[in-house]
Amino acid sequence: MPTYKLTYFKSRGRAELARLLFAAGGVKYEDVRVEGEEWQQLKPKTPMGQLPLLEVDGVMICQSKAIARLIAKDIGMAGKTPLEQAQADMICDSLDDLGNKLMFLFTEKDENKKEEKKKEFLEKTLPPTLDLFEKLASAEGYFVGNSLTWADVNFFAFFDLMNGYIPGDHLKVYVNLNKVMGNVSSNPGIEKWLKERPESTS
Amino acid sequence: MPAYKLTYFNVRGRGELIRLLFAAGEIPYEDVRIESDNWPELKPKTPMGQVPILEVDGEVICQSMAIARFVAREAGLLGKTHLDQARADMLLDGGIDVGKLFEEMVMEKDASKKAEKKKEFGEKTLPPFLALYEGFAGDNGYFVGYSLTWSDIAFFNMMDFITAEFPSALDGYCNLTKVIKIVKRVPGIAKWLKERPITDN
Repeated sequence: MPTYKLTYFKSRGRAELARLLFAAGGVKYEDVRVEGEEWQQLKPKTPMGQLPLLEVDGVMICQSKAIARLIAKDIGMAGKTPLEQAQADMICDSLDDLGNKLMFLFTEKDENKKEEKKKEFLEKTLPPTLDLFEKLASAEGYFVGNSLTWADVNFFAFFDLMNGYIPGDHLKVYVNLNKVMGNVSSNPGIEKWLKERPESTS
Repeated sequence: MPAYKLTYFNVRGRGELIRLLFAAGEIPYEDVRIESDNWPELKPKTPMGQVPILEVDGEVICQSMAIARFVAREAGLLGKTHLDQARADMLLDGGIDVGKLFEEMVMEKDASKKAEKKKEFGEKTLPPFLALYEGFAGDNGYFVGYSLTWSDIAFFNMMDFITAEFPSALDGYCNLTKVIKIVKRVPGIAKWLKERPITDN
């Protein structure tokens, strides 16, 4: 196994998926968390001036999904066949699309408008999307094949993050999706990580 | 060889990278183009209510980049190692925001807003992006290692759209110009560029 060094801010954000995957794969890595001046010093040395950053034997990879997919491949959780890998990619890209619809949480400065947008998201945007995800998840609680892939872990990470911003039991009526969440949180490596990881609000 | 059927609108848009990759790999596929009128009937039959979709031996995949990555793998253009593949993924993802801003500009209906967006894109968004990617491209004209990957073809596709509005965008960028030259000369791509339907976008 190569040496892995993950650098991000002191939060879950766009790095938690990578951390969850390392945990699931039982892979040792350096979990570096930076802020302020330390980040300003590091920034010009990164490929695109952004975090998260993964260094694999010193080679720098940025872009959170590229990082997650690499780790998933290295730990055998990217999908067993090319088609399965495409199915996992499809789920992860769809989660990104959903995430983009939540960007107002960061860009909307007017608190009243923000609350309105939250309401609209929860009532108009989320349910039809979850209906589609429910159909794509199996009754055993896997998005791809019949074992855990990064698609399932990504789904978990999404709601893990979203609940910090918009608390609630958003998956209440979704049987398959709840199974996905259960499969992820009961993965031994992930279960341990969820108990031990540093606290952060996001 | 499995049967591949790509369904999308009669535009380049989010389907063209996939078509270019099929062409580069000289992989036969059915290139189905639907009319907007036929879309409402098809929509509920797709996994996420979107196109493009790729049907492979009865399975349906959506999300243009997931499909493109699948076809890139079939064409042997994904990258040789996991790390090479991650570099390609990184470079592709790095272009998404720029692509979105370009798309917004093209879709803007208000003429004066469009002119503003075009000015902003041409002066503020595009130059730093191209300067960054000039650095990512090797002086041999490849973004990843020493051979063609889908990363090069994706860049070509993106610039194909952008240079329609900004013809001299790549002036002065030696490495990027090499990438474009190499992609255009891939036999399957050269053939496709001659034969493909001409569409506005």
